[in-house]
Amino acid sequence: MAHQAHAYHMVDPSPWPLTGAIAALLMTSGLAVWFHQHSMILMAIGTVLMLLTMYQWWRDIVREGTFQGHHTPPVQKGLRYGMILFITSEVFFFLGFFWAFYHASLAPTPELGGCWPPTGIFTLDPLEVPLLNTAVLLASGVTVTWAHHSMMGGDRKQAIQSLTMTIVLGFYFTVLQAMEYVDAPFTIGDGVYGATFFVATGFHGLHVMIGSIFLAVCLLRQIKHHFTSGHHFGFEAAAWYWHFVDVVWLFLYVSIYWWGS
Amino acid sequence: MSVSPAALVARRALAAASTSSHAGGARTWKILTFVLAIPAVAVCMANAYMKMQEHSHHERPEFVPYPHLRIRTKKFPWGDGNHSLFHNPQNNALPDGYETSHH
Repeated sequence: MAHQAHAYHMVDPSPWPLTGAIAALLMTSGLAVWFHQHSMILMAIGTVLMLLTMYQWWRDIVREGTFQGHHTPPVQKGLRYGMILFITSEVFFFLGFFWAFYHASLAPTPELGGCWPPTGIFTLDPLEVPLLNTAVLLASGVTVTWAHHSMMGGDRKQAIQSLTMTIVLGFYFTVLQAMEYVDAPFTIGDGVYGATFFVATGFHGLHVMIGSIFLAVCLLRQIKHHFTSGHHFGFEAAAWYWHFVDVVWLFLYVSIYWWGS
Repeated sequence: MSVSPAALVARRALAAASTSSHAGGARTWKILTFVLAIPAVAVCMANAYMKMQEHSHHERPEFVPYPHLRIRTKKFPWGDGNHSLFHNPQNNALPDGYETSHH
């Protein structure tokens, strides 16, 4: 029986990259079919396939790392680079929407009334719920740091407590933002103001939900004793992602809610 | 240059918080959570609630059929295609006016 003479992880063949690619194809073409032919079936199949792919691929990574020991220090370093590069790509994704917002708002066209906010748009008060949302996300940044230090110090109970608080705060943000969406006096169809507002904050909200799920998975894994005080990269990746989500909100708050009001 | 004792203590505490080998790091962030973060959220909750009470007498803006708002170049792919996803009949007018008469 041959053993590897190196510290790297030669991953076993897996079907998940293929199912993931097929899911991406079905979701995107399904979206177009929904828009033009009013049938949701292709999009639904794509979504189901995507969820199945995500669950099984990440389950396999947990098996390879936590249970089979393949995540040696060099492998973990590669995973760190990967997460950093992914978050960097997300930064560029949001940069585009901020570009659109500043393009429209720094030189408002005559069609809008030559002003920002455009004529007829009544903006949300930045000192009401948006300020609360800011406090909620900043607080969750404190609690997730508490969770990390607890984990590093081997304090299992505090890690679970602080991680739970982080997730609750994230959930509270989502609920508050959903209420704001329903109560807002403007919609996504209200010209470039509505478009930039809802697309930028909407994608941000989606990332809050994704980050919350990531943290919840970490909470489940922490309860099931997957993490050690010296090795808990899954949690670190979730915490990095969460801080990124928080920073994007701060930019949204200052640019769109505050300066743009 | 003399540094105040308080500054020295704060500097030591923050240094402890950032080293991963010192177990006291978690305690610092636990204190920050309950002394700073949670109270700040509570204050903002109270503030938002009070501000909301202030204008619960909802004077919604008069409807003006501006051409640059309520754009309907393509129908929404749900319902009658004329309502946004988070449409609120009280607050959101359709292209031809509000749906509800009161307020």
